[in-house]
Amino acid sequence: MTIRFEKMIPLPMLEQDTTGSEVWESESVLFEQGKSYILEAPSGRGKTSLLSVIYGIRKDYQGAVFMDNKPISKFSWREWSNLRKKNLSYIFQGLELFEGLTARENILLKNSITGFQLSHRIEEMAQTLGIEEFMDRKAGILSFGQQQRVAIIRALCQPFNFLLADECFSHMDHHNSRMAYQLILEECSVQGAGLLLTSLNDTEFLKADERKRL
Amino acid sequence: MRYLYSILWKDHSRAHLLWAFLGTLAGFVLLLSGIQFYLDLKQVLSENRDLLDPEYIVINKKINIGQTLGLSKAGFTPEEIEDISSQPFADQVAPFLANQFPVSGYTDSEQFPDFYSELFFEAIPDEYIDVKSDDWQWDPIDGTIPIIIPQDYLNLYNFGFAPSQGLPQIPKGVISMIKFRIRLKGQGQGNYGDYTGRIVGFSNRINSIMVPLDFLEWANDKYGYFEKVDPAQIILVSKDPTDPSIIRYLDEKGFDTIREKLKSSRMNIILKFIISFLVVVASIIIGLAFLVFLLSLQLMISRSAEKIRRLNKLGYNFREISRPYIVLLGILMVGVTGFSLIITAVLTHKFSTMAEAWSLDISASLHGIIYGMAVGLIALISLTNVIAILLSTKKLCK
Repeated sequence: MTIRFEKMIPLPMLEQDTTGSEVWESESVLFEQGKSYILEAPSGRGKTSLLSVIYGIRKDYQGAVFMDNKPISKFSWREWSNLRKKNLSYIFQGLELFEGLTARENILLKNSITGFQLSHRIEEMAQTLGIEEFMDRKAGILSFGQQQRVAIIRALCQPFNFLLADECFSHMDHHNSRMAYQLILEECSVQGAGLLLTSLNDTEFLKADERKRL
Repeated sequence: MRYLYSILWKDHSRAHLLWAFLGTLAGFVLLLSGIQFYLDLKQVLSENRDLLDPEYIVINKKINIGQTLGLSKAGFTPEEIEDISSQPFADQVAPFLANQFPVSGYTDSEQFPDFYSELFFEAIPDEYIDVKSDDWQWDPIDGTIPIIIPQDYLNLYNFGFAPSQGLPQIPKGVISMIKFRIRLKGQGQGNYGDYTGRIVGFSNRINSIMVPLDFLEWANDKYGYFEKVDPAQIILVSKDPTDPSIIRYLDEKGFDTIREKLKSSRMNIILKFIISFLVVVASIIIGLAFLVFLLSLQLMISRSAEKIRRLNKLGYNFREISRPYIVLLGILMVGVTGFSLIITAVLTHKFSTMAEAWSLDISASLHGIIYGMAVGLIALISLTNVIAILLSTKKLCK
């Protein structure tokens, strides 16, 4: 699967200074499955907007976006629903966890529609990220860093061609960030998937096939 | 999936749903029991007469002063008869044929007091007459005219006239043995014929002095010289005398009949009125309850809007998100159907026990159509709600 932008720019970005952007200033941008991309920029440069457009929850943009050469503006609700179950996974910056459900229930909420991960694999991932003891606590009482790790595991509970990760290490220390990144890369390589990871400018320690400045 | 239910069901308003549930239930019970009772009573009304026996209704025009003064005619014109025949309640219509010559009768027996009277005859085809007798035949050679008189005439004599005048009461069998002399007079001197008349039966249906139709036709042919007049009475056969349109039609046209026979028709009108009122009230209640249902579910959805958007981001589509609402609706609707049928059945049973005391035979079980109506209405309400749910969740999803 490939994702291609043709002069795509979210409408709010039109009013911003985008000088020097390797995405908004380009005629065409191509993301290929199997590669990892880190999209770096300070706040307000459209990182979240970019991922939201790819995920189909933002439709206010100029230009065009193609998935496997099909324009995504033509996708029906059914196609989006299938894409989000089988092809695209998203670690939201705002996490989108249900505070009233436990960490495990939040993860199962996703896994129950995809049936993708076995429960022991979920426990394994929780262990890797050091949140196994919080799995039965309500998401609302976990720290933001812990919640981020829950959201990461949840995002890995489905098949995908691309994983969209929106500043998903912002509240984790270096050690945890590394562990989480390692887990994400592992899952991506198992699935042969591409990774689009947005970040502020502080992630030089993360390896990627390509870095783009927004 | 069970997480989906626990997330979305959290935002319901118990009070709203309860009121909507109770409202719909009340409306349903009112509607279903109203229709059940209507069907029961309708059955009772028509059971009071023999189902296989259609009602014979003799119709005449109401007599007004115009007719008394000879300004208007009391007969039915051919157009009026045609109009009656064309009514949906009229299965058969026959006009009465009257004599077109003077008739007189007198007793010719030593056992009975002398009696003389001017008479009249009327005739209709045999199939409309409720007296079946082997003697009901006109034989010109024998010259005996069989006559049927109303049962009421005999009663009038036996229970009214005879006791007051010190005369003997006469049983039916004896009357039949009395022979009368009947004189039919044609136009001109000496043009008359003497015949023997014999009462062969008593009618509960027809309030007239009846002779066989073939006799009267023959006699009119032979002696008749009066101008032919429109028949004053006609007989109407209706398979369903409970049909309220009979009474309405007669009232509208200014026709008259023995009202007793149409009692069930009149009761039907009243019954229909009461039931229509009940149905209107029940429909209003059901309509309002339906609105509360619709609004409660919509409120529930809009309270959960944020969660629905979030679920949509996680890959749930609006159909999957709608499912918990539809299941909730389904549970409530099955509840309404079940409870309303149970309550209606209990009321029906109570009513039938009560009716037994009035010796009315009312079924203790629900009519099939009641189940059909309950299911049909519920399906309609559910379908509208399901569509509303799908539309509003779709609006929240991308």
